[in-house]
Order: sequence, then structure tokens, then C-alpha cells
Amino acid sequence: MSATDIGLDLQHVSKDLGGRTIVDDLQLDVRTGELTCLLGPSGCGKTTTLRMIGGFLVPDRGRVLISGQDVTTLSPDKRPTAMVFQNYALWPHMTVFKNVAFGLRLRKLPKAEVKERVEGVLDLVGLTHHVHSYPARISGGEQQRVALARALVLEPKVLLLDEPLSNLDAKLRVRVREDIREIQQRIGITTVFVTHDQDEALSISDRIAVMSGGKVEQYADARSLYREPATTFVAGFVGTMNTYEATVVPGGVALAGDLVVPCGDLSATGDGVWEVGVRPEDVRVSLDDAGAAADVLREVPRGHYKELVLRAGPHELRAFVGSDLPPADRVSISFARALLYRDGVLHRSATPVPAHS
Amino acid sequence: MGKRAHGQTLGVAVMSAIESEGVVLGGLPEAQLPAAPLRPRRAVVRGAAHRIAGVVFIVCLLVFMIGPIAWLALRAFSGLWQYPQLYPKDWTLSGWRQVFNDPNLRHSMRLSFEFAPIVTAASTVICLPAAYAFSRYRFPGRRFLLISLFATNAFPKIGLYISMAGVFYSLNLMGTFLGVVIVQLIGTVVFMTWIPAAAFSAIPRSLEEAARDVGAGPLRVFFRVTFPLAAPAILVAMILSFLASFDEAQGTFLVGVPNYITMPTEMYTLVLNYPEQVAAVFSILLAIPSVVLMAFARKHVMGGRLAEGFQLR
Amino acid sequence: MVLPPVAVIAVFIGFPVVAAIAYTLGRAGGPNSVVASLGQRQFIVQKGVTFDAYRDILSNPTIHRDLWATVWVTIVVTLVVVAVSWAIALYLRLTDSWLARTISALSVVPLFIPVVIASYAILVFYASDGFIKTVAYHLGFHGFPTLGYTLTCVTLGEIWVNIPFGVLMMSSGLNGVPNNLIEAARDSGATMPRVVRSILLPMNVIPTVIVATFTAIYVLGSFTVPYLTGPTAPNLLGPSMANFFNSFNQPQQAEVLAIVVFVLALGIGAVYVWANVRTGRRSGLQS
Repeated sequence: MSATDIGLDLQHVSKDLGGRTIVDDLQLDVRTGELTCLLGPSGCGKTTTLRMIGGFLVPDRGRVLISGQDVTTLSPDKRPTAMVFQNYALWPHMTVFKNVAFGLRLRKLPKAEVKERVEGVLDLVGLTHHVHSYPARISGGEQQRVALARALVLEPKVLLLDEPLSNLDAKLRVRVREDIREIQQRIGITTVFVTHDQDEALSISDRIAVMSGGKVEQYADARSLYREPATTFVAGFVGTMNTYEATVVPGGVALAGDLVVPCGDLSATGDGVWEVGVRPEDVRVSLDDAGAAADVLREVPRGHYKELVLRAGPHELRAFVGSDLPPADRVSISFARALLYRDGVLHRSATPVPAHS
Repeated sequence: MGKRAHGQTLGVAVMSAIESEGVVLGGLPEAQLPAAPLRPRRAVVRGAAHRIAGVVFIVCLLVFMIGPIAWLALRAFSGLWQYPQLYPKDWTLSGWRQVFNDPNLRHSMRLSFEFAPIVTAASTVICLPAAYAFSRYRFPGRRFLLISLFATNAFPKIGLYISMAGVFYSLNLMGTFLGVVIVQLIGTVVFMTWIPAAAFSAIPRSLEEAARDVGAGPLRVFFRVTFPLAAPAILVAMILSFLASFDEAQGTFLVGVPNYITMPTEMYTLVLNYPEQVAAVFSILLAIPSVVLMAFARKHVMGGRLAEGFQLR
Repeated sequence: MVLPPVAVIAVFIGFPVVAAIAYTLGRAGGPNSVVASLGQRQFIVQKGVTFDAYRDILSNPTIHRDLWATVWVTIVVTLVVVAVSWAIALYLRLTDSWLARTISALSVVPLFIPVVIASYAILVFYASDGFIKTVAYHLGFHGFPTLGYTLTCVTLGEIWVNIPFGVLMMSSGLNGVPNNLIEAARDSGATMPRVVRSILLPMNVIPTVIVATFTAIYVLGSFTVPYLTGPTAPNLLGPSMANFFNSFNQPQQAEVLAIVVFVLALGIGAVYVWANVRTGRRSGLQS
């Protein structure tokens, strides 16, 4: 990857606030035109990171580069970033048009050009009426679009979105996030999107940086993040994961209570106790007795599939199975795929363990 | 998170920006001025100039705000003090003795401390229900009444008192205790209604509804939920009432004379007829309750309880 | 529930105000009879109304000077209070330092002090043997003017009394502007002075109007500060009213002055109501 491909580069960035290190030696690069999500629980440092990119905070250590240019100490008004704030931050005393036009007016553009560009960007976000309404008079979804238009109208190099969907209802949230993704791809703008909602992150990002304790736990695309979470934190935070302490035995894993579960694909092998993670869809459930025995505690219909809550020995498991599986009290389970962690980090060996027959 | 620290960076940015516009509000290290790297020497000079200007501003504010009170307090203990000496030649407590030995002054002090609590209590009882109604119900004429309340504030007090005297004569209230209470009460009605009304409006209705839901009657809801939540604002309003009553002079003089001469009324005579030192001592005494009460409520007053009440809704 | 205070207001303010207006127009019956039986130089009619009392007092050259003094002092005090409280509130909004906290503590001191005391303290402070003269003397300004008993002293006193309300209102208003609205403007490329002009100023119109109108109305009708610190003449209309009533025994003339001040104050008050209603409409909070 050549240097010019990198739209945004955070190099060893740290920030202390109130005597606590909020962001700790963070490394992150976003390719030009890429949409990266910062995903993590509240207090993980994702918003602080975003604010350092936007220039609202100055890093204590490290550098922020936009298209190879050092902007670490530039104030927000002097850097080519534009932010969509969590509560939209629309100025209540200005109409939609004036909100969007504000930045252009500051740049002393001719009136006709301001009008043209504002109308163009409002058209882009699909907001053609209400142009002369005050923000208090339009719906939350529309306010969100105005905020996006206001950020885009300045043609920034980097677009920053701080939990932009958290104030919308569930249905609207799905629609607006797709719109955001569509617009982002159409104009090809480098984008950083902060959210605590994994669904949101998985569905619109090119890559996702999962953060915890001010550090990036894993930075990868949605598929590998889900299939191969690099740490137990990521495994637990993204999607559902059954986790147990276990040892590797021929053909499977042995859980506490002498429960041996056959396993098709183990990420690593070796002696000693591992932390084993199994996705619910990798739990195979059958009515014969090929695998380990388990009791069905609960059955939760999920539409086209169902979720089973099982008990095997002292352990509880969750499994996603097809809706066609007949109800049963007692089933047999095996794992199609299991991930092995030691000290919280995923271990992967080149050769997979031979499948048990 | 990080709100406070962020406010600081913002603040520094503003300071430098504002200062570069020529409005000087206080000193700050020149290194934080944006122009510093470009024009180092000028920036240093400017930074120093700003710091000096900031100090000058603070000193001026200090002298303007505190100076008169401090100067007066000094007078209360001074003996011989001739212009242009910066401080008195000798110190004495004779002014204090004179005040405490004067039966008239002692009586006026006692009266002031009788009227203020009574007026405050009466005002609270009369105005709180109205404040609640203004905030919770949209009845016809609501806005008109709110504005009328405001208009009463705009009529000059002296004119009002002169005209009120007629009404008081016909009701036989002249020279009575009740008359003085009423005349002092009038000055408290506006903020005793406005400030709590704003506080009631700030309490989400759902909190009251939740209490009703678990079986509390309307009165219990008011005293167990609404009132405690609005208490700080009500306290501010009560303190302002107390001080307004404690401070009221002209109306009290007009209605109360000759039976009821309170401290501020006495103050007018004192300023004209007594030695300066006695007036100074009396001033200090008169200021004590205010200072104590306001220090007590400072947090709430500064927190915007007072300001909230003045937005017409 | 609204009835008790409304009744108190109606009986003890509304009714007297109406009676006062009737009295100035020459009607001496009803509640005015007691006052009218004692007053001198009255213009009374049995039927209809007469504006003779207004004519009498408004042709008085002393009153002209008082009226102008009142208007000027009101304008100056209002402008200074608005400007100073804006500056202080802006500084408090944008910084959090010991300096800011000191300024904020200093600016509310007058709230703690009864007006009678404040007026007296200010008079003594600016008097011929006061602090200002003394310091000026020691700095070499031997001919420094005495401010006590001048309109300048009245102006300083009124500013002193009105600063805390101004600072509290403005601070509350500016604190109501969320940080992210400021940041959004910075993000759009606005410098800090521009943020103040385009965001903070227009968003703080209501508190500014409240401070201006309440300060102006307070100064117009004030008595204690001008009475204790001001000159004999020309002084503000507040002390003049008291003079006409107490010293000249001309209650009708005093009431005419009160009505004049009331009309001025109502004009100012209309701005306050209008600003509130207008903002209420825009933000959709209309009741």
C-alpha cells in the first residue's frame, strides 16, 4: 500500500484526560475512500479518538496525518475534516439552508455558488423540501440528513460521524445507515464512524477497529472480525460466543466435568488449558447420539432459525439451528469449529486438527 | 467524558481568538496564542500586554465590586480619620456601642427580623400554588396573567405606594402590622411566582405520573415528588423574598410610620442625622442576614435557578 | 390556585394603579379622596377627564431636566450592564480557571447586599473624602473630581446593583448553548470571534433582552440609589416623585410622574414580551 493511499493515519496517538489515559498508543490507518468504524463499549476511547482526528482535542503524544500531512495541532477550523455530531448539533436559530451554508459563507463564496452547492448537497442526502424550515420543525431523520449535508458541503477529506444514528428509532436507523453508506461510496470519502452498536458496524464498514481500554483490539473487515476474533474481548463483544475452559483431546475438546465434545475444526492445538470459543451457529445439534449429550432448556424462535439454550454437564450453550429441527428435550452436540485462546489472544496453527469421525 | 478538559482547550482557543480581536479578558501564556510561531517577538510583547490588561481588569472589577463595601466596613471601626489619609488614625468600637445602646435602633432591628420571615411565609403560601398552576395547566388567560404580573413590576414603587395609601386608608390598614406585611408582600409576588414556576416546569410530568401510578394521591405526589425536586428553586425564591422584605424601605415607611420603623427605614434617617461611623455600623448589621442567606444559597443561585425564572413560557 | 396572588395583585396593585391613573386625569373620588383631601395644587374635575396635571408638570423645566437625566442614566446603565455581563459571562462560559471563578464570585457580590447599604457604601466610596479621591490624591491627582452626589455616582451605583442579575442571566443563557454547537461551527471553519458572533450572540438574544429590559425598568423606577447618591437636581424621576409627594405635598404631580415612568417601562417591557413570544414560535414551544 503506497503512502498516498492512506487517507488518515494515526501514529502512536495517546491522550490523558483527568489523570487517566483514555487513548493509549493508538495506531490506525484508513485508506482513502474507506469507511472505518470505531467500535467499542462506552469509555473505550473511541469518541476521544474521533475528537482528536477532528481537532477538538490535541493528542498528548503521537501524530495525526491526513493524506500524508501532519495536522496534529491544527484547530478544527483549519483542518480538512468535517464532523457529524451525536445530537446533530444543528444551530437552532438558523434554517436548514443557513445551517448548511454557514461554512461556505465563512469562505466568502459568491451567493449563487453557495446556493448551488447547498442545493446540490441537500439533493445528495435526499432532503429537497423543508429547506427553509428551522431544525426544531423537522423530524429526527431529517435533522440527521441536514447534519450530514452540513458536513459534506465543505468537501472535507475526512468525514467523521460520532454515533450519528443513536437518536433514531430502530427502523429508521437501518435505513439511514444504508443511506450514509450509499452516499459515502458515491462520493468516495474517507470516513470514520464511531458506534457502540456492532450491528451497525458490521453492516456498513469496510473495516472495523474494535477498541477497549484506549487500544485497538483488532482492526479487520467484518467477516474476519466475526469469524476470527483476535482476542477474547472481541469475541465476546462482536456477536455471541460460547466460551469455556478446555483442553484439546484427540478429535475434540474436553470441557470441565469430563465432557468431551467432538470438534471439526480447531484453530490451534497444544497441551494445557485453553479458552475455547464457539459461535452458536458452529454448534451442531442432532437427535442421534453421535456427540455429547445435552438438555434443551429453552427454545427461542428467531424467524427463519431458532436459538436453543442447552445444558451439557455444568455448562450452558447457545446454538442456532434451522427451524426445521423438531422439538426435543435431549439432543446431541458437536462443534463444527472452535477458536482457541490463551491469555486472551487467538492462537492459530497452520495445520488444522484432523476432523473426528 | 473529557468535557471539562475540552472546555479548557476551547477556552484557550477562544481567549486567544478574542484577544486578537482586541477584547482583552485576562492573561494567558503567549505560547498558546496561534500567532506565536509566526511573529515570536511581537507575540511575546502582546502576550505580556494581555496579561497586564487581564490583571488590570481584575483589579478594576475588584475595586468596583468590593471597594465600597470594604471601605464602609473600615469606617465602622475607625476613630479619627481625615482626608487624605489612606487608613484611620485610630480604631474604636464606639459606633457599635452607640448602635446597641440606642433603643430605637434596637427596636427597628427586632422589627425587621419579625417582618421578613412572616412576609416570606405568607408569600410562599400565596404564590406556590399559583406557580404550580402556571407551570402545569394551560388555562385561558394564562399568558395574559403572566404578563400582567410582569407589568406590575414596571410601575414605579413610589407612585404605587402613594396611590395604595388611599386604598389602605379606606381599609384601615395604615399604621398596622398587617398593612406593612401587605406592602412588603407586594414586592415579592413576581419572583415568588416566576422562579418556582420555572422549576416546576423543569420537572418531567412522568415523574409525577409514576408516583400516581404506584398509588400516591395528588397531594402526596406534590409533597413527596414535586416539592423536593423544586426545593432548590423555591429556596432561592424564598431567600429573595426574605431579602426583598428585609430591604424594603419606602412602602414600609409610608404605611408603618410611626409604629413600625424597620432597619432600612431607620437607615435613611441615620444617613442624614447620625455620625458616619454609626451609619457604617448599622449597615454592616443590616447586611449580615443577606450575606449569610446568600452564601447559603449561592450554589443554587449561580446554578441558574434565578435565571430560569425570567424566561416567559 | 392562581387566584390568591392574582387577587392580592389586583387589590393592592391593579386597583391602586387604575385609581392613580384616574387621579392624574382629575378624578378625586373613591380611593383617591383621602390623598386628594390633603394635596395641594390639584387639577380636579367632576365629570370627564382633564390633562391639566400632565400639562402642569410636563411644562416644569426642572422636570424636563430630571426626565432627560433619567433617560440618559437608564441608557448608559443598560448598555454598560449588558456589555460587562456579556463579557464576563462569555469568559466564564469558555474558561474554567481560578481567574474565572474569582470573577464570577466578584460579580455576584451585590446580590448579597441590601440596596440601602450599597447606595450608602457607594456614596461614601466616591465622596469628597472617599477611597477614590484618597487614592487619586496619593497618585498625584489633587484636583480629582468628587463623584459623590453626582449623576455619575448614580450611574456607577445602578451598574453596581444590576451587574449580578446581568451576569447570572447571561451565564445561564450561554451555559444553555451546548458545546457541540460551538464545535460544529469550529468544524465548519469558524474562528472563535466568529463563533461568538454567529452562534453565541444569536442564541443568547432572549437573556440579553431580559437583562436589558429588567435593568432599564429597574433604573427608571429606582429610588434608593439616586436618592442617596445623586445630586438634589437634576436627579432621576424616582426621587422627584418622592419630593413632589413628601416635600411639596403635590401627590397628583407625583402620580403623573409615576405614570410617565410606567409608560416608558411598559414600552421597554413590550420588547421583552415580544422577544419571548417570537423565540417561542420559532422553536416550536409556543403555548
